[in-house]
Amino acid sequence: MRRDTRTFLRTAFAMLLGVLSVPLVGAVEVRAQTPPPYNPYPSGILPANLDSEISRVRREVQTIFNRYFAEWQALTPTPTYSGNPPILVPNGYDAQRILGGLLNFDENISPFRDEACAFCHMPYTGFSGPIPSVNLTMVAYPGSYHYRAAKRTAQRYTYSHTFPVLNYNTTQDLFFGGNFWDGRATGMKLQAPDAEQAQGPPVDPLEMGSPDIACIAWKLSQAVYRPLFELVWGADFDINWPSNTEQVCSTPQGAFGSNTTPVALSAVDRTKATNIYDHWGQSLSFLERSNDISPFNSKFDWYLKGTAGVTLTADEMAGYKLFNGKGNCNSCHVDGRSTTLTPGETDTGNTASVEPLFTCHGFANEGLPLNPRISLFYESRPDGVGFTPNPDGLRYRDLGLGNFLRSGPQSFPDPNQPEWLPLAPTADGQMQVMTARDVALTPPQCPTTEAGTGKPYFQKEFFHNGYIKSLKQLVHFYNTRDSVPNPNGYKTYAYPVTSGHCPAGTVERVTCWPQPEVKNNIDMTTGALGLTDTEENQIVAFLETLTDGYNPANPTVSTYKNIDTFTGQCSTTTPGETASNQGNAYLIPTWNLAQFPCAADICDVPPLPTTPIP
Amino acid sequence: MNGRLLKPAIIGAAASLLCSSPILAQNPPPQKRAEHVEITNGPGLEIAHDDLAIVRWTSSNPGGDDDHFAVIHYGTDPKSLNQTAKSHIRLNRGHPETIFRVRMLDLKPDTTYYYRVTSMGSGGESDGVESSVNHFTTAAPGQVTSAFPPPE
Repeated sequence: MRRDTRTFLRTAFAMLLGVLSVPLVGAVEVRAQTPPPYNPYPSGILPANLDSEISRVRREVQTIFNRYFAEWQALTPTPTYSGNPPILVPNGYDAQRILGGLLNFDENISPFRDEACAFCHMPYTGFSGPIPSVNLTMVAYPGSYHYRAAKRTAQRYTYSHTFPVLNYNTTQDLFFGGNFWDGRATGMKLQAPDAEQAQGPPVDPLEMGSPDIACIAWKLSQAVYRPLFELVWGADFDINWPSNTEQVCSTPQGAFGSNTTPVALSAVDRTKATNIYDHWGQSLSFLERSNDISPFNSKFDWYLKGTAGVTLTADEMAGYKLFNGKGNCNSCHVDGRSTTLTPGETDTGNTASVEPLFTCHGFANEGLPLNPRISLFYESRPDGVGFTPNPDGLRYRDLGLGNFLRSGPQSFPDPNQPEWLPLAPTADGQMQVMTARDVALTPPQCPTTEAGTGKPYFQKEFFHNGYIKSLKQLVHFYNTRDSVPNPNGYKTYAYPVTSGHCPAGTVERVTCWPQPEVKNNIDMTTGALGLTDTEENQIVAFLETLTDGYNPANPTVSTYKNIDTFTGQCSTTTPGETASNQGNAYLIPTWNLAQFPCAADICDVPPLPTTPIP
Repeated sequence: MNGRLLKPAIIGAAASLLCSSPILAQNPPPQKRAEHVEITNGPGLEIAHDDLAIVRWTSSNPGGDDDHFAVIHYGTDPKSLNQTAKSHIRLNRGHPETIFRVRMLDLKPDTTYYYRVTSMGSGGESDGVESSVNHFTTAAPGQVTSAFPPPE
């Protein structure tokens, strides 16, 4: 589309919003007219039930917002600052936590007041993606402006607060910390990566998409819970807002070109708005570290504590030993305990922590295949406001941390350039090592992530690109990605093909692993573990013990906060479906990579990847 | 409430939370490096495609950096191992031995390569162990070959 056409579209859309907006009176809500849906997708990329599922999750979000609101109303006595230094007492923790909850579940933060942070992160999935059909198809979640969508799976909130500020350890010559799959929320400014992670989606054009961080301060100034925000933070909302603020903040990002501050504020007021946004992120960080999200009360925690009556089943215990031993999972998903390599070997180590985090806080490239279902690939033409989400189209490649270090597209600028720039080739393809905790957390009525168990299941998606659809597949991938021992020597399930093109006689994700999207820097700790089918299942059984909300007194009822809010449908196993081939009916063929090679703004930016990326 | 007092209070509260973080306990400093490291099995070919090969071996746990590299020097002339590949692995502190695996990319099909392996911490310190020269042959186009019997 020509530039003047895009300008016309943006102007026309802004004028339309201006006509439809009305002046605010107090906390009266102004609903902006949404532009026509953006749907550049080939048939089948968007799930058929997307609209009804969006409505369903929105209702659930509103339910939880109301619960936090009720908690605030019931908070007595109201805390005040006291002492020197002044501390918010009593109930200071509750005040901060409840504020975080209200912020997380407030739909008004988005331009069309239709999407809260929690839309992509609901409690009943361990604060990852709540829509089974999205997890099965488009991978990323639709934004406030339907149907823009981002590029990766919605990462779980749980224990995200434990990641340190992104740092390059010069002893180990490796990166640790940060938030987001690519570590781009460094934590440099707020000293809490998850606080800076929270600040991303509200102004990510593909997610909530506000055009200016000042819009969040503007929305908070109108929020019913503003008094709580002021109580906790002493925030200064005395800002001289321009008369068109509501109009601007009801316009999705992209309509103002490269202008990231379309709300015209004085320098003093801009600072106030920025401080409010910083506090907004810090409150969300506190929520994430609270027991509402990261309570350290899984069955495994109770087991470690030695709680009477809490024992691991034979399969769970076998899985635990494999996790630490033959599976070598805890070399990266560090559990803070020692290890046993062979059955019967005694654990002679000390418990490093009573809160085993199951992550090393580092990064790894596990060599996942390109997933052609990711919605971002298809967002290469302008939307209703003239914004093109992904100009690279099918040439987009996800280099993860390496792309962030080059300040590449779909990421943040690297705040430590030029120092870290030369390290980019060593980080190409690397993604954050998430905690294994709560990987199996599902709603009570869908008690498993796995098809074929005889129980209704909740369809999740795993790893950064959602290529893996069950925990069985996840363990099988680690086990067999490169080679599989057999009596006649190693055989391989690795084929030089892309997803959707596995050879006849093989089954993708079972006996065929397509080539990695990024073949550089692949971690070789795993990939040929030699686990049997039973051993894979036992590791899955152990992973399920890491689900928070276990109540030793009543193991059948989860105590995880707000886990009861899922109102959708569980999945049921179809004939022939197992956890191994779960989701295979939704595989689609990848395009010819030679025809659409990696885009220049990703792969041709110095320092170049060590090996060219197809 | 005096705003000038409030901000330090918040910072102080945040700092106290950070100080109580379990992160420090979770990521202890590197373990002590082993005084003597030896290869206990291999090296040998795990698998060879027509353009990619993986070599693996087992050594005693070298300690030091948790993050390690398996390193291979290789070439088509046994007297000139002029190419190097390295692959990242993470040591498991509780394991007495470590399996190293390294992948070589962009190889020629149906070609014999000679190699020698070593390992080093992610900071570049050698583990002080090196194999003798061994060899493998890549597969014909479209084929796959592996060692027999398979190395452990």
